[in-house]
Amino acid sequence: MIKRFLVRCWNVLASLQVTIFALALLMALVVLCTLAQTELGTLGAVNTYMRSMVVWRKFRGLATPLPLFPGGALVGLVLVFNLTAALVNRFDFNLRKLGLWVVHAGLILLVAGEFATGAFQVETRMVIEQGQTVNYLESYRQMELAVTDQTDPAHQVVYSIPEPLLRRHAAVNLPGTPLTMNVKRFFPNAELAPRAPSDPPTPATMGVGAGVRITETAPAASDSEMNNTSAFIEPLAGNHSYGTWLVSTALGAPQSFIHEGRTYGLAMRPRRYELPYSVTLKKFSHDVYPGTSIPKNFSSLVHLSNPARGEERDVLIYMNQPLRYDGKAFYQASYGKGDTLSILQVVTNPGWMLPYVSCLLITLGLLGHFGITLFNALKARQAGQETP
Amino acid sequence: MKVAKLFSWLPGLLALAAVLCTAVAPGRIHGFEVDKFGRMPVLEGGRIKPLDSVARNALLMIRGKQSVPFQGRSLGPDEWMLDVLFRPQAADAQPVFVINDPDLLGLMGLKLSSNRYFSFETLLPHLQEIQSQAQKADALEAVQRTRFQNAVVNLFQRVMLYNQLQNTVQLADSAGLFMELQDLGSPQAGQRHQNLAQTARFRPLPPLPGQSPDAWLNTGEALDAAAAGAPHPALQSLAIVGASYVAGDAALFNRGVAELQGLTANIRPQALRHANSEILFNRIQPFYLGMVIYVLALLTLFTSWLWRRDLLQPAAFSLLGAGAVVHTAGLVSRILLQGRPPVTNLYSSAVFVGWAAVILGIILERMYRKGFGTAVAAAAGFASLIIAHHLAMEGDTMEMMRAVLDSNFWLATHVVSITIGYSGTFLAGTIAIAYTLRKHIAPVLDPATTKALVAMTYGIVCFALLFSFVGTVLGGIWADQSWGRFWGWDPKENGALLIVLWNAIILHCRWGRYIEEKGLMAMAIFGNIITSLSWFGVNMLGVGLHSYGFMDQAFWSLAAFIGSQLVLIAFCLIPRRFWAPAASR
Repeated sequence: MIKRFLVRCWNVLASLQVTIFALALLMALVVLCTLAQTELGTLGAVNTYMRSMVVWRKFRGLATPLPLFPGGALVGLVLVFNLTAALVNRFDFNLRKLGLWVVHAGLILLVAGEFATGAFQVETRMVIEQGQTVNYLESYRQMELAVTDQTDPAHQVVYSIPEPLLRRHAAVNLPGTPLTMNVKRFFPNAELAPRAPSDPPTPATMGVGAGVRITETAPAASDSEMNNTSAFIEPLAGNHSYGTWLVSTALGAPQSFIHEGRTYGLAMRPRRYELPYSVTLKKFSHDVYPGTSIPKNFSSLVHLSNPARGEERDVLIYMNQPLRYDGKAFYQASYGKGDTLSILQVVTNPGWMLPYVSCLLITLGLLGHFGITLFNALKARQAGQETP
Repeated sequence: MKVAKLFSWLPGLLALAAVLCTAVAPGRIHGFEVDKFGRMPVLEGGRIKPLDSVARNALLMIRGKQSVPFQGRSLGPDEWMLDVLFRPQAADAQPVFVINDPDLLGLMGLKLSSNRYFSFETLLPHLQEIQSQAQKADALEAVQRTRFQNAVVNLFQRVMLYNQLQNTVQLADSAGLFMELQDLGSPQAGQRHQNLAQTARFRPLPPLPGQSPDAWLNTGEALDAAAAGAPHPALQSLAIVGASYVAGDAALFNRGVAELQGLTANIRPQALRHANSEILFNRIQPFYLGMVIYVLALLTLFTSWLWRRDLLQPAAFSLLGAGAVVHTAGLVSRILLQGRPPVTNLYSSAVFVGWAAVILGIILERMYRKGFGTAVAAAAGFASLIIAHHLAMEGDTMEMMRAVLDSNFWLATHVVSITIGYSGTFLAGTIAIAYTLRKHIAPVLDPATTKALVAMTYGIVCFALLFSFVGTVLGGIWADQSWGRFWGWDPKENGALLIVLWNAIILHCRWGRYIEEKGLMAMAIFGNIITSLSWFGVNMLGVGLHSYGFMDQAFWSLAAFIGSQLVLIAFCLIPRRFWAPAASR
């Protein structure tokens, strides 16, 4: 009885109806995701519709959001299971169907690649001015609290507390020091303004924060905006408090306190990833077509220096020509400061090869299958014309 | 038999002969060699082109047509350009600004009437108001503007373009370039040169030998150089051309133009050769003529179903062939002139979609010989060239490619495959429409033809799936190469994905036998809707990295197209006998 039920379930899972239904759902999701981009921005729409299991929607008058539609990740999973089950169920090896097998294996790989991208891809960037040498990447979505021991300007020690830890409002010990950072309040995004006398009291007792009014706002939706991530921090040494400080990416002025003769700087900044090598921007070029301001090309001539591997070389990064190095790809993304500053987008995606492989498989499979079909059809037509 | 075969080829050959006739250079106008003046190469929008192209594109943008009827004559683009450059007062009186928006007309105290063309003189008293309204509307995103706001922004842009042209060779309110050259040393001259250099729309003075090939000068810069003691050799001739045109001295004008041309032939022969080829392309207007020939083919074919099918069906096919030859020649000339693969912008995608559909249709016709291949090919070619004709109003159709798009390899692979995918999906949809109409109109349904139509649709859907998939994936690889994301869910990418998914759904439904011929046809027509949304609809959202082809006025045309396709789907699904009186069913 149970066995029969399971077999039936398996057959439903492997059925062509499920394929067609899932493809139709995927089409609907793609349409919704595209339309939502005008409101939510590309990243917001993709997270809501494509990278989620269920699309939730808040309705007026209801406290909790309701599930509205299956999300892209769920539909993708169903498609992968459906395809796998179908491949297993109908596996009769036949040269005429070889093309179809290859196509569908490639499709599974393609969906797997998109899952891998969603899970493992890290997008960071590198901002370099001409002549500057940089040996770290910056995230533009995640921030960190950097506590810098500045006592010896030649040898600074940075303790960084990443955003997920700050969100938990925990007290974080700085290893090797007697200091603890007590996160009193965290704002993923906020608006900062000079404090007026009528404003409510601020928790900040030290630094510029005492004169600032802070209002929490919704996280930035569009891809071009950045969050003003902020927090109230209280450095503690045992029982001694150094007061409550406001740190924010919107505050430029340096803030610091002194503990036992050592100076510690406090700053909220984009999360940094140190690199075991360094990149120097030798020249940034912004070419335009003659007599116009239409951009023709952007390029960065950089010097790559990796003493550990003994590598010293110049690389030209330009449009459609990234530098692939150390599992990362460096792309020319933007520029600034009167064409003396270059912004490179740096992407780490261990699954970046998957789409290439799957595309090759699918293309070959489709060509093979349709080629065989066309050949057979033509042969049948010829035979049909000759017989009468 | 022989005669009949010859006769069937005749219409196509006649059409080609007629096309060749348009290539002949026009004669002088009142003794002025206006055509020769239009051949002068200039640098505009980052590329070298004949002045004739500048004139045609400007006139298309401002007036929507390539000629101006004025005082009982039709002014060609070169003649109009001469007036704009050298006789600004005369040009101001010519009705060149087309205004269709009733609210915009109301703003200027004008009534909506059959005359929709207005001269600059008419606009002049209202310029302040137009400018302030346009600046207010310009602050909004294009998608958020009202129809009136779009119209006023558009009008202001056209006025700016007109103003730039008038102040390119000489300042419109000055005594002319000739006087400017006599007056190099006066205290105000420097300021005037600077004004000219700022407003100049194009650069007419070629780089001298030894200079960079990009170092074309505008008149303001050249006057400054002349004041510093280094006059450009062509400046004097340009001044003579202007002064003699104003004075009505045709002999002197022709001599000046010949001098200019001789000079360019000496120092930049390549620019002159390029300009001469582009002039030929401009004059023949291959896509316009191709459109006309496709209509003739379509009409001939329709007639063939009523009368002398044996004669007219091959004749229609020969006309289709002639149209395809002209279309192909135009496409190849564009590739050669631009040095780019065939599809570089929305305009050229329309031209290419039509071309691929026509070629596929010809192949289908050779395979099945039912006349339906000719019908759908001619219809698709005509429709896409009409769309291209309307898209040409946006400006130079051979514009330069922005940095990230500047890659012939990806333009040739990704863009071309995607566009062929569009063609295939549209062609399948068009065959399905032909099937639908035939089902309701034809007196007798021949089952062999029905079978052929189904086979054609199925084959073309497979073809479209292959190309749209390969194109989409190549786009992903390009994106991975240029900004590090294989797939970014950008609207244009999503549009391409929708086409792939829809074609895949059609094929899976067919393989699972969930649809028969009627369902296949209805789904193929729906493919038209998906493709039109992916091609044009996503540009209307105004988001994403691909939103280079934004259009505001096309929204209603798109909506009407989608409505018509829905009606056709309904027709496709209702049975043939639906129209018969109830009693006989």
